[in-house]
Formats: sequence, structure tokens, C-alpha cells
Amino acid sequence: MATGSIRRSRFGALPWIGPAVVLILVMVVWPAIEMIRTSLHEIDQTGIAKGWNGISNFRTLIQNPDLPQTLIRTLIWVTVIVVFTVLISLPVAQILHGKFPGRKVVRYAIIVPWAASVVMTATIWRWMLDGFYGIFNRILQDLGILKEPIDWLGNPNLAFIFLMVVAIFVSVPFTTYVILAGLTTVPDDILEAGAIDGANGWKRYKEIIFPLLRPALLVSAVINLINVFNSFPIIWAMTGGGPGYSTDTTTTLAYKISFRDQDIGQSAAMATINFIIILIFISFFLKVSKWRETSE
Amino acid sequence: MKIKYSMRRVALGASLVLAASGVAGLVPVAHAATVDLQMVAADYPGDGKTQQAQWDALSKAFTAANPGITMTVNVVSWDVIDDKVKTLIATGKTPDIVNKGDYSAPAAAGLLYKASEMVSASTLADIVPTFLNNSKYNGTAYAVPDLASARALFYNKDILKKAGVTKLPTTWDELLVALKQIKAKVPGVYGYAVPMGPEEAQAEFSIWAGGNGGRLYDYTAKKWTVNSKANVEAMTYLNKLNNLKLIEPNPAKCDRTACAQTLFASGKAAFINGSVFLPAWLKANGGANLNLGTGSFVHNTGQEAVTLGVQDYFTAYKANGHQAEIQKFMDFLYQPANYADFLKAAGGFIPATKSAGAVAAKDPALAPFIALLPHAIFYPGDIATWPAVKGALQTSVGLAVTGSPAKVMADLQKKALAAK
Repeated sequence: MATGSIRRSRFGALPWIGPAVVLILVMVVWPAIEMIRTSLHEIDQTGIAKGWNGISNFRTLIQNPDLPQTLIRTLIWVTVIVVFTVLISLPVAQILHGKFPGRKVVRYAIIVPWAASVVMTATIWRWMLDGFYGIFNRILQDLGILKEPIDWLGNPNLAFIFLMVVAIFVSVPFTTYVILAGLTTVPDDILEAGAIDGANGWKRYKEIIFPLLRPALLVSAVINLINVFNSFPIIWAMTGGGPGYSTDTTTTLAYKISFRDQDIGQSAAMATINFIIILIFISFFLKVSKWRETSE
Repeated sequence: MKIKYSMRRVALGASLVLAASGVAGLVPVAHAATVDLQMVAADYPGDGKTQQAQWDALSKAFTAANPGITMTVNVVSWDVIDDKVKTLIATGKTPDIVNKGDYSAPAAAGLLYKASEMVSASTLADIVPTFLNNSKYNGTAYAVPDLASARALFYNKDILKKAGVTKLPTTWDELLVALKQIKAKVPGVYGYAVPMGPEEAQAEFSIWAGGNGGRLYDYTAKKWTVNSKANVEAMTYLNKLNNLKLIEPNPAKCDRTACAQTLFASGKAAFINGSVFLPAWLKANGGANLNLGTGSFVHNTGQEAVTLGVQDYFTAYKANGHQAEIQKFMDFLYQPANYADFLKAAGGFIPATKSAGAVAAKDPALAPFIALLPHAIFYPGDIATWPAVKGALQTSVGLAVTGSPAKVMADLQKKALAAK
């Protein structure tokens, strides 16, 4: 009987969490193990494994001349997009939280960039910014702001800025809604109590609402961090990481190593490093944001 | 407690059923004595329609003539076919027949049947020798050419007339003068559309380098020569054209179809290096009224004019052991009537068989290109590392036109030498 109760306490939940565990094992853990295994194998151009070769793929990767630039660019990519997404989403959520006529319509409208396929969004932006036929140049020329058309995605720096703009554009809706959900959990009685103590306007936001939004902010920031880091379609559809390698992040670089340079082993090594980078990003982020203290 | 245990059993049972159905979906149901040949084919432009219909019709006719063998042909676009085939092989679903632009890597890996195993002796004897020669790895043919194309210089006669260019330039120096004249007299038009974007940068590079005697691979020394003096010189020349704004802006991101051919079709570029199928493409894409001229590629003084020949291949994989069935299908495909259907669906290419070549030589659109072929340079497609070098060229050779030619080509050479 005693052993039975111990077993029950430990495994009693299994039927309920079992399917989820199986799903995680099959969809997450197994591919991750395969990826790491591939990174330690020699794979020939046609895709056939030729046996273990230790860390030689990682050595090749470290010597890849395009890697240092790409790592720096990835860091900029993630930081800028996550920071700006949160900075834009905070006031937008605040506006959507207020009561005004047509609020429902505005709330729906903000979902659109999120609901639309990212590849579609990126493709449309690519053609809006096209140097020969883009609507951007048309408008700016008609307004007399530009004399000559600019190929917005032809210059590496400009292209990278626009890639980030699009990434922020598609990240804002989700973040806004998470913050909005956070706003609705701020209890009215606390706000009333604050009002009695003289906390109004900016002070009320800074001292009461913002601290209470922290859990929502953390969740949205972490999810954005992962999404943005792994983001492939925006870069691929708009610039293909080019010209050359000048707008690649480590995610698109991994793809290029595999399918242009035909080096699957090195590509798996890049993917493994990506996996480690994202783990470091997240643990660093949770540490500086004192995740535990907030959740306790 | 009993209830709990039985619930656990139900849950366990349910997940087993789920797992079992998943497994069942993966295991193909075996048909007695029926072989299903799997084929993956790249989609030639044709008349704007996909080739799937042509392949399906051919498969049906083949099965009718050969009961017991069915065909599954999967037509995919050019930009994904290499990834698709590689993924199929890596995941153990190797197709029987592949139709695409290279063969050397799987030939080197020992995955392919020889050409003499793919088709019967009589079919093999009908293949144009030059093309079969370009299908060899270490002296043995491991692929059967499906068709070929040659490139030529295309120009917009109206633009040249407006600019007062009366003689078609043949050398780099003459071209430079002509382009400057066009820039001065025909505003809003780019002299030359140079597509150095990823789509087909390796072709554009080979044409310009070829006009300076430059090659990618030295067959005597058995070594990649990506940054040979001649190659760097050719890129330096294009770099100069770029700095003088005589070509379209940002050539490194200008893809062949969406950028260069489109500019040319809309009358915004005077010259373009085009393929044999360009006139048909222009007709279907807004360039039907162009006053089109063709000529030889320009070359550096003291060098010869060359053309680039590009051929594609059928390859057959040994993985499923279907050699007899594959040969039956390939012979069926190369029967003159069927092969003519294939060529027609592909649209305006040069045939790879002598019998179809004799017919095509009477076609005024194809004849000049067929005449060019004996002097054509081809990609070093028989070198095992060509796919990797091609990929590296597609990614960054365009930067040689906008950046430092010597450095970009040296980096590419390093990559080529490291490819394995």
C-alpha cells in the first residue's frame, strides 16, 4: 500500500502529461539529438554520412570567414528587434486598453500583421522596397523627396535596417496582446488606492502599472527573443542574406552552408551553436531580469 | 484506485493506437510484382506551364506499354531541386531517376548507375558525343544528357539606334565606348543588364571570364582556378562598368529572371547575355515587341569570342535496385516521339540526341545556337566539388563587381579548394 501511494504520487499524472511528453520527445528532443549527432559526423555533399569525425565540423565553422560578422549581426538583430518591439508595444497596448469608439476594429486591425503569413508579408515588403518598381520610391519621388530611385535592399546597411523594421512590424501584435492581457489583470482597487494616495498619470503608470506588467513583459520578451533569433523567412524572402553574406544571421548562414556550400556537417555545427547561443541568451536574460524573484 | 489504473490503461492504449497508426502511415503497402519508379524532375520554363502534365502523360503511356511498372514523377522548381534531392537522399528516400543540372557529387559518391546501365546501347549511341563527354566522372559517363542550351548576346536594336551605335561591339574596349554612348544619349536605360545575383551568377561569371580566356578549373593541373589572373581581370572590367554606372545598380543582387531579363523585356537595358530560350520568355513576359538582335559575346582584345554551353542531366540512383525498370523507362523517353514531347514541354532547348538534333538544325531559331556549340565552354560539371563551388559563386561572386575583385575571387578560391 505504501509503495502504491509513492508510485501514485510520482507517476499518477503520467496519463495526463504523457502525450505531451511524447510530443516533446519526438518533436524537440529527438531532432536536437539528431542535429548534434550530425554535427559530429562527416557528411558528404550528396547527404550521406561517412562516420564520426569528432569536432572537425566545428573547427571548419570557426575558420569560416563569414562567421564573426554574422555573429555580431545576429546580436544586433536580436537586441534591436526585441527592444524596439517592447518599446512600441507598451504604448500601443495602453491605447488599446483605454475605452474609445471603434476599439474593437483597431484591436482586430493590429492582429493582421501577426495573422498574415510571414513569407507573404516579407515578399510584399520586398517589392515595396524594390529599386526599379517599388511603391516606396514612387511615393518619395512623387513627393519630390527623392530625385533618383534608391535600391533599398541593395545596400547592405539599408537592407539590414529594413529587415529589422519588418521583423519589428510582425512582432509587435503578439507582444501588444500579451501586454494587453497583463494590463487587464491590474486590479482596479489598487489603482483606486493609488489615486487616493495621489498617484495619477505618469506616476501611476511608473509606480503601479508597470511593475505589475513585469510577468507579461518577461514572457513576451523571452518568446520574442527565441522567435527573432530563429527568424528565417523575413531575411530569406527579402534579401536571401545578401548581397553576398552581408545580411545573414546565424540562422540563414546555417542554411547557406548546407545548401549552397554543400557542407551539411558544418551546417549542423552552426545549428548546434545556434542552439547553445539561444540557451545562453535566455538564461542571461532571465538572470538580469531576476525571473525567480518576480515569479515568487 | 481501480478506476485510476483503468484510466491509465485507456490512455496507454490510446497512445499506442496513435503510435501504431503513425507507423502504419510510413510503411508502404507492398504490391506484388509492381515496381513504382520515383522520379524528381526540375521544371523547365516551357510556355509558362509546369511540365507536370507532360510527365504524367508520358508515365501513363509508359505504364500502358509496360504493365507492372508505374511512375511517380515529382516536378519541382529549379531553385529548390538541389535541396529537395539532397534531403530525399539524406532521409533514405532516394529517388530512382533525377533530372537536374549536375551529377558529379553523387557520381563521386558511387550512388549512380553508369550511363550504359541507364539506357540501352542503341539509345546511348544516339546521344550527341560532346554532351555525353560532359557527363563523365573519371572517364565513365554517369549521367545521360537531357537537353542543352547555349548563350548568346542579345541587344535592343532600337536603343542602339537611338544612341547612334552602328557597329555591334565585339571587344571590351568597343563595348565600353558603346555603353558610354548609350548612357549619354538614351537616359533611363542601362547599357548592360548583368545578373550577378544568386539565381545564375555562375553563368554570367563564366561568360565574362570566358571572354578573357579565364576558366574555373584547370584540367591539366587538376585544380580550381577561380582567382586566376584572367578571371580577376574580367571581374575588374565589370567593376569598372559598375563604377561608371553603365550597368544596372547593385548587380550582386540582380537575379537573372526577376531583374535582368525583366529590365531587358521592358526596354530598360540595351544588352543582355541571354539563353537560347530568351526570345520565347520575352514573348510571354511583356517583351514581345522588342526589336531584338543577337550576336557573339564580347571578349578582351587578343582573346577569342566564346559561348557558354549549359547542359542538364538524367541520373539514376542505385539505392532501390531498379536498374532494369529504369532502363525501360529511359529508352521509352528517348523514343523520338516521346523525346520530342519532352523538348516541346521544356521549351526551345537544344536536343541531346543526334536524331532530334537533325530536326532542330532546320529550326531557324535553334540553328545558330547549334552551330555555336562546338566552340562552347561548359561548366566543370564533371568535378565532384562543382556543386559546392557553384553554390559559393552564386552567393558571392557578384560582390567582385561591386567590391574588390581580387579579394572576392581569392576568398572564393579558398572555398573551392576547401570543398570536399
